[in-house]
Amino acid sequence: MLYVKSKFKITSIMFGIIISMFLGGCSSSQEKDNSEEKDTITFWHPYGSESGDAIAAVIEEFEKQNSTIKVNAVYIANQGEGQNEKLLTAIAGGNPPDVAYFDRFEINSWASQGSLEDLTAMAEEAEITKDRYYPFAWEEASYDGKLYGIPTTTDARLVYYNKDHFKEAGLDPENLPKTIEELERAAEKLTIKNGKRFERIGFIPWYSQGWFYGWGWSFGGSFYDEETNTPTANDPKNVEALEWITDFAQKYDVEDISGFTDSQGAGAMDPFLTEQISMKIDGNFGVANIEKFKPDLNYGVFPIPTPSGTNHATWSGGWSVVMPKGTKNKEAAWEFLEFFGGEVAQKIYNEIYTSFSVIDSVNDEIGYKEDPIFKQFIDILPESNSRPVMTEGSLYWNELATAVENSIRGIGTPEENLIKVNEKVSKALDE
Amino acid sequence: MKIQKQKNRKLLKGSTTAGLLFASPWLIGLILFYAYPLIASIYFSFTDYSILQPGTFIGLNNYKDLFNDQLFWKSIYNTIYFAVYFVPLSIFFGVALAMALNMKVKGMGIYRTIFFLPTLVPHVALAVLWMWLLNPGFGLVNEILGVVGISGPSWLGSVTWSKPSLILMSLWGIGQPVIIYLAGLSDIPEDFYEAAEVDGANWFQKTFHITLPLLTPVIFFNLVMGVIAAFQQFTLPYTLTQGQGTPANSLTFYVMYLYDNAFKYFKMGYASAMAWILFLIIMILTAIIFASSKRWVHYQDK
Repeated sequence: MLYVKSKFKITSIMFGIIISMFLGGCSSSQEKDNSEEKDTITFWHPYGSESGDAIAAVIEEFEKQNSTIKVNAVYIANQGEGQNEKLLTAIAGGNPPDVAYFDRFEINSWASQGSLEDLTAMAEEAEITKDRYYPFAWEEASYDGKLYGIPTTTDARLVYYNKDHFKEAGLDPENLPKTIEELERAAEKLTIKNGKRFERIGFIPWYSQGWFYGWGWSFGGSFYDEETNTPTANDPKNVEALEWITDFAQKYDVEDISGFTDSQGAGAMDPFLTEQISMKIDGNFGVANIEKFKPDLNYGVFPIPTPSGTNHATWSGGWSVVMPKGTKNKEAAWEFLEFFGGEVAQKIYNEIYTSFSVIDSVNDEIGYKEDPIFKQFIDILPESNSRPVMTEGSLYWNELATAVENSIRGIGTPEENLIKVNEKVSKALDE
Repeated sequence: MKIQKQKNRKLLKGSTTAGLLFASPWLIGLILFYAYPLIASIYFSFTDYSILQPGTFIGLNNYKDLFNDQLFWKSIYNTIYFAVYFVPLSIFFGVALAMALNMKVKGMGIYRTIFFLPTLVPHVALAVLWMWLLNPGFGLVNEILGVVGISGPSWLGSVTWSKPSLILMSLWGIGQPVIIYLAGLSDIPEDFYEAAEVDGANWFQKTFHITLPLLTPVIFFNLVMGVIAAFQQFTLPYTLTQGQGTPANSLTFYVMYLYDNAFKYFKMGYASAMAWILFLIIMILTAIIFASSKRWVHYQDK
């Protein structure tokens, strides 16, 4: 009899535990209901440090202006080019954040999957139009004629060069390489190599932000035909660009370069800051790093050289704020999006993060046009390219990177590799 | 007597219920988060499924596409290359190390600890550390080779040497199997060795006629686990190359490519098909190892 009692006890304790587990799972959602005096929106962003401060400042100002809305900012690690599986699974599971800070370049592929809310009607009502932003930023944020994101930042790419190295190597730091030939000559003069080891390397075309898009455009190539929605990776000009990169790799021995780049760090250990590389292609975001770790570095910037020395090209990426599909709180989320895309927030954010606004007048206000370095980036922005606005942007990007890797290592010719890229991306676009 | 039996049965019944109840959170989890996704992924492998939209059934198309996908074959080649070298080497070094660490020497605990420590190093830290060690310009490995008069390769910077570099790194984290081998060694009765010594057996004879045959069940276990782990190689090459598999896809392993398809390109159906092909490969290999085990694995009590 006693034993029966104890059995009953065990079972009831077990049930108690299980029931309390389930209730425990529910209690958090109950708390939410009680504190509903304010509209809370959840905002996912991938930033720590300086950019995190910029985000916090924007939110602070937003909450000041909208006393009824509270923004709950959550840091979600950014997993690099086209990797956002946390957001992906949150949307698929029907429990997404209300707003996400999002790489604009990904908007087309995500929108085509139906994973972002269409903002067209809300933007029209708020009178947010195309002419407010740089044209490429608006295009990237649109898919199929509809708007899916509010652009926030942009950037551009130029060649950074070390003025002291130029003087030392007998180059004129005011008369900079304009043609590819001049660039090659400068790189040669700047390089100091002992056996397999680079004491200093003049230039590496594919290093840092030297992605193939920049080279293709600089050689006068194009990557995408909008009319037919087909990639044109093997444009003869692109082939020419990749052949030049491949020759460069062979001349300096690609494995030695690889040994050099593999051992380089970021931040204070960036080889441009440790003066182990004399020229590198980088975005305007490279400036903040120099200011932070080596403010006395004697450097300048110039446009990426081209075969003819004219028609300099660059490309721009940037970020946006989006509303993931299935947002519970559209009105409040839109308020935040609208604010973030406006001039006040643009100025707050981009001033703290030293990034460029997608609104030209804001860049003026921040004073970028007075700064000798930033001015050059801003000046080239209206001419800038954006990466092809298409649904397979990530795949195209990765395939081009692979084509460069294979070519410089002598696996297949540049032309063969670019034809392969075209085949693979075309196939994906057709599916 | 009878009453006692009935009581026992009741007791058993009661404890089964209680036991199941205690295990129920785990059981529910297993069914929800393991069994269901497993079965669902079989279906998804026959669909064009992007996670975000319901899949459309496309029959064997994913499998057909895979067979025409060059990177798929490249990733299989890389993975098999890794497994073929890494698994035998890890068994050889693992057993050798375990035998060395099984000697009756003072301070053996310290040595054992030293060899096990690398296993505890997180993969990311391990990747960074080895990048420095293998640096062609100033890395320790090439410095040492240079002393001997060998001009070392550029290791991770070379298409030829990147996989051997990875095998080298992975062998460094061999502590786990070594512990299991050690347990196996201490399981071998001392009197076998004593009897052999009476018969005048030398170290070689003792090793090849007593130690290794009696260690075969443990080797067998580690062989199966090693093959499974080698085919699922992911974390180390992923962190080492920031997910790119550089240089020139020489470090793009099967699971890395699967992951790219699932989470970068919205091709979850394609990735599911890859997962099932991997499952089949591993299952066939494990079956072969099991079938062969009758010939070379000796259990003490038989």
